[in-house]
Amino acid sequence: MTPEHDDTVPLLDVHELRVGYPVAGHDPHLPVDGLSFQIREREVVGLVGDAGCGKSTAALALLGLVRAPGRILGGQIRLDGRDLLTLGDAELRRIRGREIGIIVQNPRNALNPMLSVGRQIELAYHAHNPRDRPADRDKAVEMLSMVGINDPERRRHAYAHEMSGGMAQRGLIAMALSSRPKLLIADEPTSGLDVTIQAQFLDQMWSTVQDTGSAMLLITQELGIIANYCDRVLVMHDGRIVERAPVTQYFAAPQHAYSQAILKLQRDDACAGGELDDAASPGNPPSIIDVRSLSKRFALRGTHSFVQAVQDASFTIERGRTLGLVGESGSGKTTVGRCLVRLLDPSEGQIRYQGDDIAALSRRAMRSYRSRMQIVLQDPFDSLNPRWTLGEALAEPLQLHTTLTRGERRTRAAELLSLVGLSADQLDARPRDLGAGALQRVNIAKALACEPEFIVLDEPTSALSPRSRVELIELLQRLQRELQVSYLFISHDLTTVRYLCHTVAVMYLGQIVEHGSVEQVFENPRHPYSTALLSAHLFPDPEHRRVDHPTPAALQGEIPSPIDLPDGCYLAGRCPHVIEACRSHAQDLKPLPDGRTVRCQRVTGGELGVGPSPVSDHDR
Amino acid sequence: MSRAEIAAASTEGAQRAPAFDTARRFDPLLIVGTLIVATVCLLAVWGPVIGPYDPTLTTASVAVPPPSPSEVPGLLIAQFSGQLETPPHWMGTDANGYDVFSRVIAAPRADLTIALLATALSAILGVGLGLLAGYFRNIATELLMRVSDVMQSFPVFISAMVLVALAGRSTTNIVIALAFVYTPIFVRLTRAEVLSQRSRGFVESARALGTSELTIAIRHVLPNSLTPALIQLSVTVGFAILLTAGLSFVGAGVRPPTPEWGLMISTGANQIILGEWWPSVFPGIAISLTVFGFAALGNVVERRHDA
Amino acid sequence: MLLRYVLKRLGVGALQLAGLTVAVFFLIRWLPADPVSRLVSMNASDEAYAQAAAQLGLDRPLLTQLAVYLGFRPDLEPGILQGSLGVSWVTGSAITQDILQFLPVTLELITISFVIAFLVSIPLGMLGALNPGGRADKGVFFYGLFAGSQPEFWWGLLFVFLFFFKLGWAPAPLGSLSPMSMAPVPVTGFITVDTLIAGQPRLFVEALHHLMLPVITLVFVLSGPIVKMVRQNMLRALQSDFVLYANCLGLPRRRVARYALRAAMGPSLTLIGILYGFMLSGAVLVENVFSLGGIGQYAVRSVLSFDYPAIQGVVLVITAISLLVYLLLDLVHAAIDPRISHR
Repeated sequence: MTPEHDDTVPLLDVHELRVGYPVAGHDPHLPVDGLSFQIREREVVGLVGDAGCGKSTAALALLGLVRAPGRILGGQIRLDGRDLLTLGDAELRRIRGREIGIIVQNPRNALNPMLSVGRQIELAYHAHNPRDRPADRDKAVEMLSMVGINDPERRRHAYAHEMSGGMAQRGLIAMALSSRPKLLIADEPTSGLDVTIQAQFLDQMWSTVQDTGSAMLLITQELGIIANYCDRVLVMHDGRIVERAPVTQYFAAPQHAYSQAILKLQRDDACAGGELDDAASPGNPPSIIDVRSLSKRFALRGTHSFVQAVQDASFTIERGRTLGLVGESGSGKTTVGRCLVRLLDPSEGQIRYQGDDIAALSRRAMRSYRSRMQIVLQDPFDSLNPRWTLGEALAEPLQLHTTLTRGERRTRAAELLSLVGLSADQLDARPRDLGAGALQRVNIAKALACEPEFIVLDEPTSALSPRSRVELIELLQRLQRELQVSYLFISHDLTTVRYLCHTVAVMYLGQIVEHGSVEQVFENPRHPYSTALLSAHLFPDPEHRRVDHPTPAALQGEIPSPIDLPDGCYLAGRCPHVIEACRSHAQDLKPLPDGRTVRCQRVTGGELGVGPSPVSDHDR
Repeated sequence: MSRAEIAAASTEGAQRAPAFDTARRFDPLLIVGTLIVATVCLLAVWGPVIGPYDPTLTTASVAVPPPSPSEVPGLLIAQFSGQLETPPHWMGTDANGYDVFSRVIAAPRADLTIALLATALSAILGVGLGLLAGYFRNIATELLMRVSDVMQSFPVFISAMVLVALAGRSTTNIVIALAFVYTPIFVRLTRAEVLSQRSRGFVESARALGTSELTIAIRHVLPNSLTPALIQLSVTVGFAILLTAGLSFVGAGVRPPTPEWGLMISTGANQIILGEWWPSVFPGIAISLTVFGFAALGNVVERRHDA
Repeated sequence: MLLRYVLKRLGVGALQLAGLTVAVFFLIRWLPADPVSRLVSMNASDEAYAQAAAQLGLDRPLLTQLAVYLGFRPDLEPGILQGSLGVSWVTGSAITQDILQFLPVTLELITISFVIAFLVSIPLGMLGALNPGGRADKGVFFYGLFAGSQPEFWWGLLFVFLFFFKLGWAPAPLGSLSPMSMAPVPVTGFITVDTLIAGQPRLFVEALHHLMLPVITLVFVLSGPIVKMVRQNMLRALQSDFVLYANCLGLPRRRVARYALRAAMGPSLTLIGILYGFMLSGAVLVENVFSLGGIGQYAVRSVLSFDYPAIQGVVLVITAISLLVYLLLDLVHAAIDPRISHR
């Protein structure tokens, strides 16, 4: 797969590229500062680096574009020997789209909201291949089909706001590759997509690029993507490349400190279970929270139908332990978290907190529990009032639940900051002065203010870069050890779940489909959905690249709508093991001999044996 | 390389690129706007007393034109060295014998007072109602929005006229009429902002702490929802002055002989055809500059918040 | 789909009009003005006063008056349901008739002004947005800010002084036609149209000549906010992600500019609707200066003489037209932007 190192002219040769944002009176920190690298024909190169390190700026600069008020300050970008930065606007427009294509994050925003996707592909193609309208239209249909969109003749009339994220991104690829460019730049193409959709999409993109014979520069923060799709890795830090290596070598022996830091989570052998058990609470700790048959329905405005967001969820969390809740969009995991802290009121079921059922308590009665159970939300910036200082934010829970004086509150706030590894000088800073990782620590500090026993963490690391993610997970572990606090850890990132959690529950369309210890579920998933989820998860193991061992599509199609749920198993429409009985019988959670529970009659009935697990192939 | 920059400049992909570089220290709009507004405010306080003549009394000189530009310096010197018996009519006099200059600088007291009071009243009412309507969504607030819609569909000028003419042409009634016209705008602006702020993370976070809804609305949502209303303030003052002047122009506003720019333009209108331009032109220049000053300030506030 | 939307809007609009009519009805009666005393002399006896009141229908209970006005008591008088807006307390003529006489003048004036303002402002706004920060942009921006803060009645007077008195290019501000010309037979009520229908091209030119200054005045004042809005919307569109991506695809400059323009049009249409509604009554100031005899002047007369039915009639008609204009513009907006029509 890796092209031989030859002496021919590379397809793309970037030399000392510099891009900056001149701001009057400030020393411009150049996001791109001396960037140099090469890409050969048909190579798939991964570019990895922290958020804000300038990857997207660099990507746009390769096309000679920069977001105002930035400027390209210097360097050379040679495409097939020609320096793009010496060309005029008209010539650059000829090259963009024809020689270099690009797809970006947030595909729905990149599409023109007023034109159909088919028309946009026609225009993109026509710009470089002027032909008549019918020929353009045929090309659009052909491209849509090439990127894996079924029924392209009909779907080409779709508008951006009608398309899912996955479909929109495929639309962008269709546009970008319509003129068969020699290089495709993919800038974080899967951010925001569900795990299984992401795997589908990346497989599709990779094979399309192979078909058109293009090289690809795949820009991402996710090491899993790099490991599974790329031939070579470039690491960008502080505006320049700090490490470059073939992919297997990179993962086996990272050189730069930054690489070593972000590979830490993957390289640690210990799975959470063993390590945590001893450190946190030995033996059989008492249960803190005991959820029984929790259900939540949302009525749809203007109609009589409703969305069953959560159905019959039951689980227990012990003191000092962590339960992971994983699933994709529509799984209901976020709803469960919100119900537990009563941000939402459950439709049915019990939530026993240390024996007391809090599911139906009034707001007033809930108040005394509020200091004992807290929640940390996904977006660290959004969770803090932008007008308040950090000190004021941390004092808010103290004001509500303690009788500390003003001075005492401030002292406690400083304590909390140092508890999460931040300096007490930050008390008077505002949220906009800090980065995402630091802010999320503040949110955790705020949750700890009243010494809770239980914290719901709703995707706390999703908005963070890999490095901040590692640091936050380590912080959470330490806090659990020191304070004996229990967590409900909601996430779609299986790597962090594996590291942090003791037990895990997999959710699909509102139901728990498998529930057991982390070793049980991750090493040997039994429910077909868990299997599919785990196989779609891109483990950062370049020795077993996904593209080298084509995995048969474990699950067909997209996640169905939660409004019209079928009578039988919810997975029936997509499951490779489906039989007639699956469609007619509602499935219940039943235990397996090893103690876990699975919601699949075929599995619990012993019909589906223990096959080769997708996880063990990737391990060690 | 410079051509690539040209290419870059033609694409404009920034998050927010303000029209002009707001980091520049000397923002001409800010300076001009502040100067004008400050001057008008000062005149509102002292205008009626610093003029050479009493703005509400007529003089014997009727329809006297202002001095020509070449005469002005000489007159200035003569005036300040006390050589003249009566002060010159710097802007001439109108058909009734009022000194135009004195009335022009006395008018801000009426115009600005009305405009400021009306704006303040509609802003306070509008923001309060907008907060309630946006945050507490129940039948009462939906009804409130319907009422606000109906109020907003009243033809602006006519409803102002009706309120003033039928309630009596007093300053209070003009203020109330203008407040009636402008409140729905503030309601709408604030409500829209509140609707988007109420689903922010820090609101949920406060709720998870057990804070009461009213406290959340006032401590968290309100301060973060004021921006559109603040931007609208300055511009509204300007429009209120225009509306007051317009109302007075058609006879449904301030009562004569109160000095007010619109009224002055109205009484001077008949003379324009005869070539006597000064009774209408000078007050017009005053309004023109004043409203522009408020608009400029409003724009500066808007740009500061955008950047 | 489209038909249902239009019908729904018309229905909602009718409800709004009904609410408005009732609201105005009560509002003006709640205010302390006394219309009867306008019609009788200062020293009128009590009987004369009562007689005058009865003539105006003010002796009936309030709800009956409302019912009569709305047309629920055709036995007493015809009302709205019968197509009658009542009789003016001042002129004695049917209000519907009065309004039909005065309304077209205003509609003619503002529609022509709006069209020209629109045609002038869009290129100006685009000029500014396509050269951000440049001299042209600063000029355009300043013009937008300045023109939008001007008192139009004063500028009308200025133009009269300049173009009539000083330069003699424009006719005297004495109405839609020269006082010595014979007006054409009113067919539509629009002078320009009627002169053409009557086959009198010379009068047509004269009418246009008389409209020149009022139109220039309105165009000047209207172009301010429109230029400002077009420029701002274009700038926002040019900075958007999809325009950036269009450039990434290598689309030609003109096509990218068209993308941006189309995106900028939608929100601008909303503003134009609001301005039109405002101008329907706000044009009185310009009508006044140029003695055009439009609905604005009729409104002022009615208000100042406490002619309640006339006031109600004017408010009703003007609001109805505003709502229709909003509907039309929304339909155009939906035609441009599929996000709206697909909801």
